Amino acid sequence: MTTKAVQNPAKPMPAGKGGYWHKLGVDLGKNKWLYVMLIPGLIYFLVFKYLPMWGIVIAFEDYSPFLGPFQSPWKGFYWFQRFFSTSKWVTYLSNTLILSLMSIVFTFPAPIILALMLNEIRNMHYKKLTQTLLYMPHFISIVIVVSITYVVFGTDGIMYKLTTQLLGHSIDYLGDPGVFRWMIVGQAIWKETGWGTIIFLAALTNVDTQLYEAAMIDGANRAQRLWHITLPAIRSTIVLLLVLRMGSVLDTGYEHLILMSNALNRSVSQTLDVFVYQNGIVNGQLSYTTAVGLMKSLVSVILVVTSNKIAHALGEEGLY
Amino acid sequence: MKKLVSLFLCLALLLSVMSFAAAEEDMTLNIMLPDFYSDSDFVTLEAGNPVLEAIYKATGVKLNITWVPNSGYGEQTTLTLADPNNMPEVMVMQGPRDAIMIQSARAGAFWDLTEYVNDAANYPNLAAGEKTVYENIAIDGKVYGIYRARPYARAGIYYRNDYAAQVGYAEEPKTVEEFKDMCLKMAAIDPNIYVFNMCKYVAGTIGIMTVMNGAPYSYGVNAEGKIYPAFEDAKYQEGLDFIRELYAAGGIDPDFMTIESGNWNDAERSDPIKALMRLDCLDNGYRYQEWLEQNKGADTEKPIVSLLTAIPDKDGKIQIWPQNIGASGEIVITKAVSAEKLPKVVKFLEWCNSAEGQTLLNCGVENETYWIQSDGFRYTFPEGEKDNAATYDAKTATIQHSLNQLGMNVNGDLTPATASTLLRDEYNQNLLENAKYVINNPCLTLESETNNLMGATLNQEVEDAQVQYIAGKIDLEGLQKIYANWHAQGGDDILAEYQAAYDALK
Repeated sequence: MTTKAVQNPAKPMPAGKGGYWHKLGVDLGKNKWLYVMLIPGLIYFLVFKYLPMWGIVIAFEDYSPFLGPFQSPWKGFYWFQRFFSTSKWVTYLSNTLILSLMSIVFTFPAPIILALMLNEIRNMHYKKLTQTLLYMPHFISIVIVVSITYVVFGTDGIMYKLTTQLLGHSIDYLGDPGVFRWMIVGQAIWKETGWGTIIFLAALTNVDTQLYEAAMIDGANRAQRLWHITLPAIRSTIVLLLVLRMGSVLDTGYEHLILMSNALNRSVSQTLDVFVYQNGIVNGQLSYTTAVGLMKSLVSVILVVTSNKIAHALGEEGLY
Repeated sequence: MKKLVSLFLCLALLLSVMSFAAAEEDMTLNIMLPDFYSDSDFVTLEAGNPVLEAIYKATGVKLNITWVPNSGYGEQTTLTLADPNNMPEVMVMQGPRDAIMIQSARAGAFWDLTEYVNDAANYPNLAAGEKTVYENIAIDGKVYGIYRARPYARAGIYYRNDYAAQVGYAEEPKTVEEFKDMCLKMAAIDPNIYVFNMCKYVAGTIGIMTVMNGAPYSYGVNAEGKIYPAFEDAKYQEGLDFIRELYAAGGIDPDFMTIESGNWNDAERSDPIKALMRLDCLDNGYRYQEWLEQNKGADTEKPIVSLLTAIPDKDGKIQIWPQNIGASGEIVITKAVSAEKLPKVVKFLEWCNSAEGQTLLNCGVENETYWIQSDGFRYTFPEGEKDNAATYDAKTATIQHSLNQLGMNVNGDLTPATASTLLRDEYNQNLLENAKYVINNPCLTLESETNNLMGATLNQEVEDAQVQYIAGKIDLEGLQKIYANWHAQGGDDILAEYQAAYDALK
């Protein structure tokens, strides 16, 4: 998966003696050409990744593009205070967290289960065909997915009429705030599950087939083979993806939510991302929304570090 | 060899001077306009667009247009103004009183045009604009753009009178109470036919209904001179209650809040018809009748669409919702234009308002995009080609696109006249007679920092709650909770700031 940092086997680093800088100095002297070759990469990261990060300075200013980041008046933590001074932030945060947790609980395991099911298909042609069909929804734009939803679940739609017939009362799929999150999760599962199987199927190909044969001789049935061989084999992949997913717990995206939101369900569709989009891009409050975005990023970093630590504690490799 | 090089350099210098001289006369102008035809191609000036060529011949201005789909124009405005080094030179600002307009103007994004619009000697067309409208769009007393003129008394109700006749309203309702009665009766005609044609954009429907019912617009001023939000007016609540009642009676599509404003026409133009009435600009009403005449064989002598506006409420008061502030946005000149170039650009905007400019921007070139037929009126197709009108429209769209978005017409409409229809005449008559009934937002030109910062979010919450109230999802108590929330979350600050500005003016 990830390539480990290649240490030069010919010249092992001197152990112990001296501090970090001393060791670095010794290493620099020994491998100077390797470090020279590192320079373009370093410059790339400095110029294109670290330098633009200074843009977050506008979160502490009353930024006006016409004054620029240097002339705009300094505001300190004004925008942060402002965000927390209204009670709305609780709504935004809880909407974000609930939607994310639902997505982790329901959307995340879906491709794993599907990949395991695909893995059990013995006819290769049928498997290939199924896989291709499963990938297709991924290539459909979310705008189209939402349009289809409107047609199928609207008051003239087939699902609306069907559930009204079956349940005896109607479900307001598009307006009811209680249904909204399930619709979002459902659409995400419909669209991305097939595509998500790719990485797990790749991990599954690495499972040693001899293990299966040995297990079969020992009398293990399918469920036992799945539980004792297949799942442990892809466990590190699952953990890795879960740690990565934790980093984006606060990322709900906004286009899907904005497309599905309306006056009736906005109380649950307003997440941090939607807030940043609405106030930053639509209403032009760049400083305010940068501050909110910055806070979101901080929480995400903390979540990744913590979940990585937990992964290590559980004996997994984790992210780094 | 050296000589040759120096000769070459001299030549290059000469050439550059010459090209500069040419640039002095010809002027390229980068403009950004909302695009209503984003699904069709646009022929550029280089590719031989006859309209842009005619503009170039008349003024020496080469228009370089950035088209932005209208639905995303607001976002694009913010993004454009966030990058001062790459702004277009001239652009449309759709909301003259939006926070982004006020902030950008104060930060120095646009040229102050006040002296030009007051200079009747050199810029007679621009100076011919209405002073009140210029005041409506001014920021800190400075005019930063040329407004795009729209009639004040444009809003009202249009409805299918053939269906109204079925419930005993062969005559137009004379009062708001009669109107309400007519709506409720029309709702009972057929469960599959709604009365109000509503979409996501509810501000217009609610605004027209409540103002007609006697409520103030946006903000009201009570007897003690205190400013209060319109939604707390009893007449406003009454208007909102009526929409809720109509919804409960099956008079409104339960999915209305998911319908995009771009699909607003669908319900009234579908077959079978799905909605009978719309609270909107009345020019959409005569267009609807004309569409019915062309596509459904409706009688041209006896329109089946009625325009309804200026009817008295319970207390005999007549009020019309202001569709706009006499303007639909404005054309601004950004600081991407140098101080030397500025007068030339203003001169170009002046020309845009001349008869020639107005005609080119709104109608295009004669015999290319419009035709004067033997009756002396302007048509979108040549004589005897009525059946191929759609083909001509499609061709016109590729040449003309949304160039009319650059049209301001502050000095009145000077384009060649079109043949009128009965309803169109009635509409034009309405505009003249009813302008006196149009009410205004008392806080329109007042300043509130909190409103600039939070107004949009707060209003969205109120509007959402009103939609939920109409759809019966929350009751009056729930609605009032949101109103109380509006006060607590910043509404009280807005009111205090407006009050201070209002008192200061007196």
